[in-house]
Amino acid sequence: MSTVAETKYLSEFYHLPEFKNLDGYKNNGGYVQLHKALKMQPQEIIDLVKASGLRGRGGAGFPTGMKWGFLPKNNEPRYLLCNADEGEPGTFKDRMMMEKAPHQLIEGMIISSFAIGSKKSYIYVRGEYDDSINALEIAIAEAYKAGFLGKNILGSGFDHDMDVYRGAGAYICGEETGMISSLEGLKGQPKLKPPFPAIQGYLKKPTIVNNVETLAAVKYILRDGAATYRKYGTEKSAGTKLFSLSGNIMKPGNYEVPLAFPLKDMIYGLGGGMKPSRKLKAVIPGGSSAPVLTAEEAEKALLDYESLAQMGTMLGSGAIIVIDDSKCMVECLANLMHFYHHESCGQCTPCREGTGWLDKITTSILSGRGRMSDIELLLKVADNMKGKTICALSDAAALPVLSFVPKFRDEFEYYVREGKSKVKGVTYKTPSYMSAGAH
Amino acid sequence: MFQLSNDAKQKVLTELKRYESKQSAVLPALYIGQKENKGHITPDVIRELSKLMEIPESQINEVFTFYTMYNKTGIGKNHIQICRTLSCMLNGSNELTEHICNELHVKLGEVSKDGNFTVTEAECLGSCGTAPMMQISKQDGSARYYENLTNESAMNILRGLK
Amino acid sequence: MSEVNIQPKMLNCKINGVQLSVKEGSTIIQAMYENQQKIAHYCWHPGLSIAGVCRLCMVEVAGNPRLQIACNTTVTEGMDINNTSPKVIEATKWGLDFHLINHPLDCPVCDQAGECGLQDQYMEFGQYNSEMAEPKTKKNKVVDLGPTIVLDSERCILCSRCVRFTDEVSKTNELGIFSRGDHAEIGTHAGKKLDNKYSLNTVDICPVGALTSKDFRFRQRAWYLKDAETICNGCSTGCSTKVYFNKEGLFRVKPKHNEAVNGYWMCDEGRNTYKFVNKESRLLKSYQFKNGAWGHEATAGAAAKNLIETMKSAKPNEIALVLTGQQTVEEYTAIVEMFVNGLKSKNIFHWNNNESTANDFDGLLIRGDKNPNTKGLIQILNQNGISAKWSELESQLTSGSIKQLIVVGPENIPVYTDIESKLNLFSKAEHLIYLSSASLPQWENVKSLKHVTVIPLKSYVEKNGTFINHAGLSQKFNKVTTVVNEALTVSEFAQIVSGNDLKIENLSENSLFMPTNQRADQVTLEHRKKNEFVFNRGQF
Repeated sequence: MSTVAETKYLSEFYHLPEFKNLDGYKNNGGYVQLHKALKMQPQEIIDLVKASGLRGRGGAGFPTGMKWGFLPKNNEPRYLLCNADEGEPGTFKDRMMMEKAPHQLIEGMIISSFAIGSKKSYIYVRGEYDDSINALEIAIAEAYKAGFLGKNILGSGFDHDMDVYRGAGAYICGEETGMISSLEGLKGQPKLKPPFPAIQGYLKKPTIVNNVETLAAVKYILRDGAATYRKYGTEKSAGTKLFSLSGNIMKPGNYEVPLAFPLKDMIYGLGGGMKPSRKLKAVIPGGSSAPVLTAEEAEKALLDYESLAQMGTMLGSGAIIVIDDSKCMVECLANLMHFYHHESCGQCTPCREGTGWLDKITTSILSGRGRMSDIELLLKVADNMKGKTICALSDAAALPVLSFVPKFRDEFEYYVREGKSKVKGVTYKTPSYMSAGAH
Repeated sequence: MFQLSNDAKQKVLTELKRYESKQSAVLPALYIGQKENKGHITPDVIRELSKLMEIPESQINEVFTFYTMYNKTGIGKNHIQICRTLSCMLNGSNELTEHICNELHVKLGEVSKDGNFTVTEAECLGSCGTAPMMQISKQDGSARYYENLTNESAMNILRGLK
Repeated sequence: MSEVNIQPKMLNCKINGVQLSVKEGSTIIQAMYENQQKIAHYCWHPGLSIAGVCRLCMVEVAGNPRLQIACNTTVTEGMDINNTSPKVIEATKWGLDFHLINHPLDCPVCDQAGECGLQDQYMEFGQYNSEMAEPKTKKNKVVDLGPTIVLDSERCILCSRCVRFTDEVSKTNELGIFSRGDHAEIGTHAGKKLDNKYSLNTVDICPVGALTSKDFRFRQRAWYLKDAETICNGCSTGCSTKVYFNKEGLFRVKPKHNEAVNGYWMCDEGRNTYKFVNKESRLLKSYQFKNGAWGHEATAGAAAKNLIETMKSAKPNEIALVLTGQQTVEEYTAIVEMFVNGLKSKNIFHWNNNESTANDFDGLLIRGDKNPNTKGLIQILNQNGISAKWSELESQLTSGSIKQLIVVGPENIPVYTDIESKLNLFSKAEHLIYLSSASLPQWENVKSLKHVTVIPLKSYVEKNGTFINHAGLSQKFNKVTTVVNEALTVSEFAQIVSGNDLKIENLSENSLFMPTNQRADQVTLEHRKKNEFVFNRGQF
């Protein structure tokens, strides 16, 4: 295990505090690719991104070049929006990227905007990320001053303006159309599709929404070419990816590795393994919405889109949450159901009512009031929430249920039967700190 | 009756022009209103903003009630938000919340008697690798993350804030 | 401007096995509606934008593994659609269950019962055995939203129709959906009221009992009412409406879809037009003011008959007729004919109550001319070459040259703010014959009454007829019910006064052939069909 190491591709200079500033960034290869890009044909850049096999790093894993290709081929104004509303439980990689390397994102965004012909871009950052917002605002001001933003960038004739937009606390704004609604100054409710954002997005204009990590990677594809980028990962899952490792683990943190990296090396190698005398029980491999893996499954899992899909789960945002044998799976599921209940935007009935229902059932099991039929009911409710709504939040709430319950059924049945957790030492009590009206 | 200061009005007007559409200024304007009103928003704040921005009150209220970062009730000088979602829970956030509430003699959502603290739970704040954690916001909106907490370290931080 | 008639392109598609041809650009739900196919839905409303949030109108499109919502899916050539497969039926059942888990199920005390979308669609598509065992989410109840409407948030299914109405149609933006998730509630911003001239449309489009009309709530169960179509007589727009009634009278007015006039909506003011039809505000008998006192109660017919001799002996320049824009074209024709041909007088005048505001328009439906048939009246007057000015009537009355003045008074008294001054004017005639459906307390204030005969008229829902609206659109409507049996239409009055007996055709078929133990306005079991609970309850 000692040979296991990170592949610091995007994160090569993250250890340098000065990489955050324009000078530090420039001293380490910053804005070189922007010069190069502005001399290229936009279509060349799109083709390069297509050839690289880069896929969206926000969660859905949609091929980036293909997404850009959906834009109408005309002169209609269009927007590039950077999705920095990082909210998927377990994920904290974008925050690191923005705090440690804001210029990396900005350079990636200017290049991408040039490629798709956008004169205006926004970085939508979740409101809680004060440090990220500050870092970006300073960096954008620096970039304007240095002539990387504004009119006639580096004499190329290309104009581009960039701004930061602060969210205000809603997980759903991480969904691209929810984010667009929020940026429009509305409730962050996802929009009906069709029309898709590439045709009608922000202010009904063609819009591309990409994740922080996706846009940052564009610069490296330009620097090294598609073939070099493809040396990392697999045919269908190309490149490196930042994984956020958290939960019951010795060394939690962000780790950059090539896709198809073994999950067990992540946990036992980079992550330093389990806490003393603890055994691995379960792993959520791609953020809280990804179906859970048992310890046995985790042994075999590779961290790429296809391998995880084959195991019935997903790579998602690359957030790996490790659960050890001292934790109760019923409590974990109830925790997540509370989260989705709290975050459902309330627009579509199956999600609005379903997330609340799942929360109520799991809470009632936790408090010892569960019925044996509730276990089947959880599955039925989740099954009927899946694929029925405008966005994927309903599915995101259903998938944990549909994996936790079958894979750890004994824990659920024990809990209902005995009115307490199967795991020794886990006791549930109604929190004393709850006031009557608190939700 | 709440009134926006001239400075705040000016800021709202700047935001109105900052984005591609006027409506986009609603979120930033609510932040400005919240800062002016000691960290929370009342119907009067929305009425003021509505008049100034010429956007219907119902639309501003929809936005206000949708997002968690706009406070619906008054908060203490320090608004402690403890992340409760899975990674933090796995690392003891429930126990941390209970400890802090007991030490400060408050329940969730309440303002402590001395007016210094309000404790609430928050859903995932994106600090899962440094769990458990809390964010402390001031009434002026400035905020900071405190990570890798233990019951003791958290209380030390809070004592330092008084 | 020449109209180019473009035939819409038609597409072939199959819905539930039936081959159909639908207009290009139609959504599946539109195609299904136009072809009388059943589909569950709440948030979709043809007069509003698409929200796509209730997720009930699920359909299966061949080749697509994921169910689609019919309201936001456009029909394409060759599409094969069904909503009868087990997959769709299951999805719809669960969709309804999700709607109901936090619904209070307080149908016995809910005003909407009997015409409720939740009841109707649940009986049609529901799963009948809910597994919800958790406590329901509590929300606000009996919220006073404004002068016309009460909200019960627990009943609300957040379909957002009412919010879209105030955003898109009335453009008054009072309503919003506040909070999120299953805590979300419809409401107005603190201290604001839902108060606009079209507010009650939100009650009509509310598929459940969340929004109820203050005017109607708790007054009648929906299944104790019959409904019938008519034309609103509140202004010159002439909206198509439905009135709801039983033998106790009329209870409410709702809009009926009419693309050419009012779309799906009507104004709140128009909904009050039922009030002056009910007995409380009606003139029920004929009376005379004679020798300084009111008396001589008589039936309308007898009173009219008494006038035959008077009218026969009247000289053309000593009689006059006053008409308002409140009667039907047929009535104008009859009485004007009697005057022009029978009495050889063209001394006929148009009482215009709102000359200065007649052309006002609010951009949606409400017009300044508060008469439904001003155009109709003008048309009949013109056809008969009548162009007498109002000032001529005034001078004739002042000079005392008029012996018999017949006035066909308005029904909608609130919009005739000049009624008292006009009664004062008319009373200058030696004998004023005032026909009216309304009982007029205003007589008390008329100073110098000489000889007045008042005769009760039928109201607009009690007769067949035609109104010509502001745009010249001629709209026929049928009698809805009878409130005051013996009241006359203006045509009947003209006929009797001319010395003819009423013809049998004037009696409605219903009143001739109804069983003896029933009345035309009696609600029978067959009228309750809308209440699915009565009819589709199934077998025990």
